[in-house]
Amino acid sequence: MLKLENLKLSIDEKILFENLNLEVNAGEIHVLMGKNGVGKSSIAKAIIGDPNYQVEGNIFFDENNITNLDIYERAKKGIYLLNQSPIQIEGITNAEMLRAALSEKTGKGINIFEFNKELEIICQKLELDKSFIHREINVGCSGGERKKVELLHMWMLKPSLIILDEVDSGLDVDAIKLVANSIKEYFEEYNPGILIITHSITLINTFDDYKVHLLDDKKLIKSGNKELANEVLNKGFKELSNTFVISEN
Amino acid sequence: MNKLLVSDIIDLNTGDYILECKNKKLNINIKGEVTLYLKNQILNELNIKIADNSILNIYQFNNKMESNLIVNINQNNNSKLNYNQSIINELENNLIINNYIKGNNNESKINIRNICEDNESKIIVNVEIEKDTINNIALEDLKGINNSGFIHIEPNIVCLSNDVIANHLTTIGSFDQEVLHYLMSKGITLNIAKILLKKGFIYSNMNEYFKKNFGGE
Repeated sequence: MLKLENLKLSIDEKILFENLNLEVNAGEIHVLMGKNGVGKSSIAKAIIGDPNYQVEGNIFFDENNITNLDIYERAKKGIYLLNQSPIQIEGITNAEMLRAALSEKTGKGINIFEFNKELEIICQKLELDKSFIHREINVGCSGGERKKVELLHMWMLKPSLIILDEVDSGLDVDAIKLVANSIKEYFEEYNPGILIITHSITLINTFDDYKVHLLDDKKLIKSGNKELANEVLNKGFKELSNTFVISEN
Repeated sequence: MNKLLVSDIIDLNTGDYILECKNKKLNINIKGEVTLYLKNQILNELNIKIADNSILNIYQFNNKMESNLIVNINQNNNSKLNYNQSIINELENNLIINNYIKGNNNESKINIRNICEDNESKIIVNVEIEKDTINNIALEDLKGINNSGFIHIEPNIVCLSNDVIANHLTTIGSFDQEVLHYLMSKGITLNIAKILLKKGFIYSNMNEYFKKNFGGE
């Protein structure tokens, strides 16, 4: 599904990562961990196609080289980024945006009755008042509501690769559980690949199995399974960074 | 809702009106609470007198037409003006609004949204509050998005009285790249993303009736 091949990532001529290799397949969950400022979110932005980043190497998605595709084309192929601070857009409602996106995706008009019905079912699932359907995107929303709105978009657009960039930041325990359960439900229903960027174990422990990758000093220094995530939480990044010098992956 | 074909002068009492203008000059006398809708009218001069204890709401939209319009609005005592105009211009656009507040206890809100697709757009809003008046409010909210033209906006408030609340907000910018990227990250093309943003911007100072009955273009 997603394959990063010898990726070199820079912004404003500052190198963030070099020789980064990672593969995420359908039905797999991968977690990127690393201390603050190491550039985890930059990887997410590079995968979605943020033009502010310079990318060398290759990004493959479903065996197509998408390195030079723009954000829209990548999203249309099924890549979805749910980031830590979704922006608000005045004057455009969630329904309008989703209608436009679904029309683009399917190449045909939307059956408004079915569209509204599906939105209402998802709102109910996310414990989101259905008035949000016709509210402007994230305008006047709390942090928790914004994450739910982004999940609403995700459920409607049905991506095959989901990138979660610190979605648990700023959420209380109940909200994290709700977000995590919704993502787990989506995972079980649609079998996407998931790439999670997080500092928190609450979100990733929702899943039975996942792979963990530690990032430091512009590279991937260690890959492992959920025991590695627990080790990070027990020992901290600093100690582990001194232990693992070269990636075993 | 009343649809009126109007010529040179008209008196409007409480009610909602859609105006179709026959001539390029129109004088309107407002009494009571009046809401006016004007879309793509070929007016050059619009003179409005708001009677004491009256309220006027205007929603005006000009889409891709050449326009040279001067609007003169007079307020005396205990009146409210809520003036909203949205403009998309590909051809030259010149709009001058002169709002004279001559008495006491008046409120004036002037909201303009302009998307300049091409050519030049010039918007001048003058609000003048006469001396020895009290308890007046003047608010100007003028915003422009410059797609590929030139926008000039002048927000002027002349306060000759020392008992006035006056505020003006003016911005001219281009499309927010972060917002465009966000919409594109949902699988929307750049072109459609811009259309959505334009619609949102133009509608931001229009009411629900306008959106339902004049929207969709």
